[in-house]
Parts: sequence; C-alpha cells; structure tokens
Amino acid sequence: MSERSILLFGYGNHGKFIAKGLNEDGFRLKIVESNHDYYLQAKEDGFMDVEHLDVTNDSLLEVLNPQYFEQLVCVMEDEHLNVFLTLSLRSLFKESYILAISDSLHTTKKLKMAGADKVIDLYEVSANKIYNILKRPVSTKILEGIVMDKDGITFREMLIPEGSFLQDMMTDDVDFAPYGILLIGMIDEELGHTFVFITTGINHKLDAGDTLVCIGPKEKLDAFEEEIKKEKSIP
Amino acid sequence: MKQFILSLALALRKSKRYRAVKEYVWELLNGTGNPYKKYLDTFIIFLIVTSVFILVYEVTNPVPAWLDYYDFYFVSFVFFVEYILRLWVHNDLSKYIVEEYHDAQFLHREFELWPVLKHGFKEKLNYMITPAAIVDLLAIFPAYRPLRVLRIFVLFRVLKLLRYTKSINQFVEVITNKRFELLTLLFLLFFIVTTAGIAIYVLEERINPNITSLFDALYWSLVTITTVGYGDISPVTDAGRTISMLVIIAGIAMISFATSVIVSAFSERLSELKESRIIEQINKSRSFLIICGYGQMTKMFFRQKKEKIDDYIILDTDIKRVEQARKDGYKAVQEDASRFETLKKFNVEHAHITILCLTASDVENIYITLNAKSISRKIRVIARVNDINIVSKFEYAGADHLLMPNQVVNTMIRTAITQPTMYKAIHAILTGKSVARIDEVHVHEKHSMVGKSVAELNFRSNKLLFIGIEREGKFLFNPPSSEVIQSYDILLLMGRQISLEYFRGRHEGSL
Repeated sequence: MSERSILLFGYGNHGKFIAKGLNEDGFRLKIVESNHDYYLQAKEDGFMDVEHLDVTNDSLLEVLNPQYFEQLVCVMEDEHLNVFLTLSLRSLFKESYILAISDSLHTTKKLKMAGADKVIDLYEVSANKIYNILKRPVSTKILEGIVMDKDGITFREMLIPEGSFLQDMMTDDVDFAPYGILLIGMIDEELGHTFVFITTGINHKLDAGDTLVCIGPKEKLDAFEEEIKKEKSIP
Repeated sequence: MKQFILSLALALRKSKRYRAVKEYVWELLNGTGNPYKKYLDTFIIFLIVTSVFILVYEVTNPVPAWLDYYDFYFVSFVFFVEYILRLWVHNDLSKYIVEEYHDAQFLHREFELWPVLKHGFKEKLNYMITPAAIVDLLAIFPAYRPLRVLRIFVLFRVLKLLRYTKSINQFVEVITNKRFELLTLLFLLFFIVTTAGIAIYVLEERINPNITSLFDALYWSLVTITTVGYGDISPVTDAGRTISMLVIIAGIAMISFATSVIVSAFSERLSELKESRIIEQINKSRSFLIICGYGQMTKMFFRQKKEKIDDYIILDTDIKRVEQARKDGYKAVQEDASRFETLKKFNVEHAHITILCLTASDVENIYITLNAKSISRKIRVIARVNDINIVSKFEYAGADHLLMPNQVVNTMIRTAITQPTMYKAIHAILTGKSVARIDEVHVHEKHSMVGKSVAELNFRSNKLLFIGIEREGKFLFNPPSSEVIQSYDILLLMGRQISLEYFRGRHEGSL
C-alpha cells in the first residue's frame, strides 16, 4: 500500500482512537491539537509528528501545508472549534478532502455548510441501532460483531485488477460459494462512482477497476483477494 | 379456642395457595395490573347503573317483579360479597397472630391472642370508617320498597361509581391538601351566617311575615351570603336591608377567596396530575418503552421516522429538558429513573417493558440499569455507554444491549478514511436503508422451510443474500448449501424490504 497521509485535528476521545487505528493501518499521521493536555497525551502515546497550535489562527494553519495530505480529519473535542476549523480549512484550501465528526443534528448541518466533504454523526448510527435492537435483536448483534470485527468475520473492499479472471463476468454467474465469502455490493465504474448493493437485483458486468465489497472470515477474504489477481484459466 | 385459632392462623400462613388467592383478589379489587380487572369494573358499573335506573323508573311506572328481585337480591348480594372481600384483603389477621406467636415463643412469654386480634380488628375498623368503605356498606342496603326513606340509599350506589372515576379522587386529594384554608373559610362562613341570622331574627321576627323562626333567619342568611338569593325571604326593614348588604359583600369576598384557594391548589398540582395521567395511560399498553434522558441521542432516535413509536414515555430529571421534550411534542415526565419508586409506578409485572438509558452520564445509566433489573429481570435494558472501558460493568449490571456511540463512530471514521467504499455499505446497512436491510427470520416449527436445505430455498431467486444462521446462540456464517434449516433457527438475510416481506409471507404458512 502506498503511503497515505492524514492530517488529524484533535486528540481527544475520538482523535485518540482514530490515531491509533490509522497508525496500525500504516498511515502517515500528523496530529494537531490546541489543548495542551491532549497534546502531551499524544506525545506520551508515542506519536512523533504532533503540533500544538492555535487552530483559529489562519497563518498557522497555512504553515501546516494541508494540501499535501490526502484527508483532513476534524475531531476536536469542542464542537464550536470543530466547525470553525472546518470553515477555515475549507476557505484556505479548496481542494482538500475534509472529514468531520458531529455530535448533534445542528452541528451536522453547520459542518456541511462549512464545507466538510463528509460528516459522521455520533448519534445517528446509535439511534438507528435502538430501532434495530427493538425490531431485530439477533441480526443487530451479529452485524455489530461483523462491523466491530469481533468474531473474525469482517467486511473487505477489493479492487478487480487488470486481467483478473472476473473480468467480463456477470455478477449472477460468479459462484462465490467455493470461496466461503459473500458479495454484498460493488462499485461499477461503468455506472458512475456509486455503490450498488447486490440485492437490488441488477446483474452487473464486472470490469477491471470495479470495487467489490465482500463479507467473510479474514483468511478466506485474503485468499480471495489473491485469487482474483489470477488470470482467466483457458479451458 | 385460642389453640384452634392459632393453628388455623398457622395453617393459613403456611398455605401458599391461600396467600396467592388473597393477593389475586387484592390485585383484582385494588391493583392496576390485573387483566380481568376491567371486566369486573365494567360488571359492577353495570349493576350500579341498572339498579339506579330501576329505582328512578319505578317512581312513576310499575316494574316487573323479577326486576325488583334482581335489584333487591342479586345486586345487593354482589355488593355484599365485594364489601366482604375488600374487608378481607385489607389486612392479614393470620400474619399478626403468627408473628405474635413467634415473638412470644422467642421471648418465652405467654402467647396472648386477644391483643393481636384487637389490633387486627382495629385496623379493619379503621378501614370500615373510610368514606369509600362506608359508601360500599350503605350501597348494600337495597332500596327497600315499603320504606320510602330507605330509597335514599340508592344514592350510595351512585356514589360507589366514584371509585371508578380517577378525577374525583384527585379532586378530593387536592382539596384535602388545602384543608387548613378551607376550614378557616368554613368557620368564617359559619360565623357570619350565624351572626347575620341572629341579627335578622332579632330585628324582623315580629315585622317580617316570612321569618317565623331562627331557622328561617339562618336559611335566609346562607341563601344571601352565597349570592343565591331565592327571594322567598327578604328583609323589610332598613336595618335588615343594611345587614343584607353587609352579608352580600362578605359573601362575594368569601366566594372569591374560596375559588382562589381551590384554583391555586389545582395549579400547584396540575403538572403532577398530568404526569400521573401519562404514566397511567402508558401502563395500559402491553409493551412500551421508557426512555431515560432527553438528550441528543433521544432526539436522534425520534428523528428516525421509519416507524412511528406510540408507546413510550420520556423520563428526565431536568425540568428544562422535560419542557423541551413537551415542546417538541413528546410525552415526557420529570422523574428520576434511578429511583426505585419511579420505576415501580410502571406496570412491571404485566407489561413488556424496554428501558433505554440514554443519559449522557455513564454512572447514571448504570444506576438506572441496576435499578430496573432489581425491580424485575423481565425488563429489557438497552444502555448507552460512553466510556468503552466500563462495558464490563454494564454487563455485570445486566444490560441486555449496549450502545456505544463513541466506539461506533470511531470505527466509522476509521473505515471512512481507510476504506471509503465499504463505509458507504456499512453505513447503509447500519442505518437500514431500504435496499440493504439486514433482517432476521425466526423459524418456528410450522414454517414450511423447516427441513429444507439452503440450496432448496434458493435465496438468490428472491433477490436475497443469505448471510448465515444463528442456531442455539452460535452464528454460522455462510453455511454450505446442503445445510438443512431447523426449527428455531434464526436466518439472517439481506435484501430490499419487499423481497424480505415476500419471502416471509411465502414461508409463513404450514406445510
């Protein structure tokens, strides 16, 4: 995997976890924090590239060179600061991809207006989960296990490489059973860059460059990822 | 004799059945949870209404003899039985006797039956002189035909209806809270009426042909002071008229005073009354949600307008948030869910209750969880956990499901950064978008799919993705197509809402 870089604003409750996860996934990380305690915490946790600065100061933000980072992630503890930061970043750097966290509906709206490319709502998913627990308790529990990667079964997205045996096949014709995994959905580049669930019932033609999202045990997914690199065996 | 009563008490105390019956009767008469209570109530109300109707009708029309018998024997008998039962379940004599006996044995003291019985009967007597019990007793006496004056007893049957109207009880309760003010007022009224009555009697007894006795004078005085003023007796002298002017002014002052006392008493209790109404109403449903805390999470929960939720109640300790919830149009009550009394108010025994602990504080949520579970294990608790480190504490406390907004969102952010495509998929699944609902099908014995293999069911033709089976608590992911479906399996399927519904409908029936 080529080195991907993230500029993370905030090392509070969320920032901490995200930093740890991204570090494990091999991302290059720069952490920016305005709170001194959090800054020290980040240092203590072993992150090298940590800066302590006032994020409301535009000239300081410019020095960070956000344009060299793939994504800017705003997860400051203070939601007002978070919105302000998003706004500053957007006005300064038109091109950057900004991801922000929100802890209320109002904030979500504000963050979107401020120009965040993606806003993740702290409560939306959980609130939905209550419904799901009430309506279908078992599937919610299992699904959670899958999303949280608890039981070894997980989601995985994979790109169909050039020359793969899957090329030019229709989704209905591919038999995933021998691989022990399930195909949930895919991005068909021919139809534009949107995610399509397999259950919509449309038969898709697979091309190189399409992305498949599969679910299954980790080792089986690994095996399948290797498998699709193989060329079509000529009978 | 003493020995006999003692052994009888001991036997009753030991008998589980006796106690169960007694409890059942109590619940039927006084409780709220018994499902048959409403039939009993309707029956009694029916008896009252018919009996009153017969009496009123009888005033001018002859009634058939069987109706008389019905009224005289049947209704009275039912009321008599009800009265005795109420008296019976009011307290427990056998318990007192047995307790006293054990105490006596413990202290090597002679067992005395009489003081215990006296205590027990005194309690019963105390019950008998409560207004409700008196009304019950008098309602038994039938409208004994030959003695016309006894017919007035039928009024007590009407009064019996009061037992079934909650608002009257609340009214009485509110009034008794203002006992002091109202008694003062009553005393003042008595004083003015007597003074004015005596004055008019002294001044006009000889002159006014309508006033012949002190009773007439007092009657005039009361009629005047209450501003009723029939006009059958009116003062004829200037002195008498002066007195009546004073009485009228005093009357207006007093009426406005009485009104304000009662109104203020009600406005003080109004919110409380409203809240108890909400709780009563929710207790009538078989299954409902108790939502603790009206914060972001709760608001968000209600915003998911997929299916309308009717049976819920919001509890919050902060009056500001309660008011906010009411303003937003939700049923909210200012109560502390971590208190035992609060949750006890709900119909824990007979309704299927789910508590959502959604307050922002973990301590509070744990406390509510423990509180709910200590009242009944049957209550389902879904708790929100903010600090991931204390998940195990919630599990110890007995929470059935945990919500971890922080953890979920952290995972989501991580996914959004590392695998953006998958993020969309997971997000759609978690938020239950219509194309990607993951749903479960609970297989029971009568399902036509029992005994069929996965291949036979052919999920793919139904545009469904078969994810796995949950069997005896274990999850089998993507089982081979030869796997046979058993009873009580739970199938996990993904697909569009309509596909799922179609599939369910097709396999619902028996073979």
